[in-house]
Amino acid sequence: MGTTIQILAAFLFTLGLLTVIVRRNSIILLMGIELMLNAANLSLVGFSQYLSQVNGQVQVFFVITIAAAESAIGLSILVNIYRNFSTINTDHTVTLKG
Amino acid sequence: MDNLATLNIMITIFAVMAGICGIVMLLAKQPLTSALGLLGVLLFTAGIYGLIGEHFIATIQLVVYAGAIMVLFIFSIMLFNLKSNEHDARRKMPLLIGSLAVAGGVFGLLVATILKYFETPLALASPGSFSRQTISDLGGNSLVLAHSLFTQHFISFEAISLALLIALVGAVVLAKRRFE
Repeated sequence: MGTTIQILAAFLFTLGLLTVIVRRNSIILLMGIELMLNAANLSLVGFSQYLSQVNGQVQVFFVITIAAAESAIGLSILVNIYRNFSTINTDHTVTLKG
Repeated sequence: MDNLATLNIMITIFAVMAGICGIVMLLAKQPLTSALGLLGVLLFTAGIYGLIGEHFIATIQLVVYAGAIMVLFIFSIMLFNLKSNEHDARRKMPLLIGSLAVAGGVFGLLVATILKYFETPLALASPGSFSRQTISDLGGNSLVLAHSLFTQHFISFEAISLALLIALVGAVVLAKRRFE
């Protein structure tokens, strides 16, 4: 049971990492970050259950709060990027040369 | 014992479904399909939390993640009205292979570490004081968690609430601001 949860957390983290590396749509990039945070939460809850402690769950509570704040800020930054560039593709939202 | 076996099977099914939803999120062409894949991952993760007895975290996961954050994402996708994403996810071949190698390396290292060190005697020798039976005797998962949150972690709780307030103000300022 514990091993299943930890392996799922590792798999979801890898998928989130791959999403952030490969995809070019900024919204999907943010979703990859959320997926990685979710995987970390799953791992924390699994270990907290496994070691009969409650601290990991408190940590997960905080992480979920920060994830909500992060996605709100990230999406409002994306709104600004869309206003300036009329696209959110990371290939086109460049102003520096080189 | 039969109950535990059923629980293991349920957790495995939920884990497989969550993995499939994650792959859908990674490979989907449309952003909305990606969002629905992420929603599936969050829902199945909440199911796993509920199955292993973390009811409060499961509820928070459903309300905050699968509710608020996903609504925000889907609302943004519809706001941006993205039409052309034909360039998405088509990197050059060496880069794609390199990123796959990096991700595979991370996954392999994580799984190898988990399988090798998960059931160490050191971890099992001194378990914490909140076993499932103790939590049930003390009045349930939410009660124990709330007690820990408002006594031991009270300063952190207040700091997090301050961070949320700052994020709220920041989001409003960013959304209303006109850049040159």
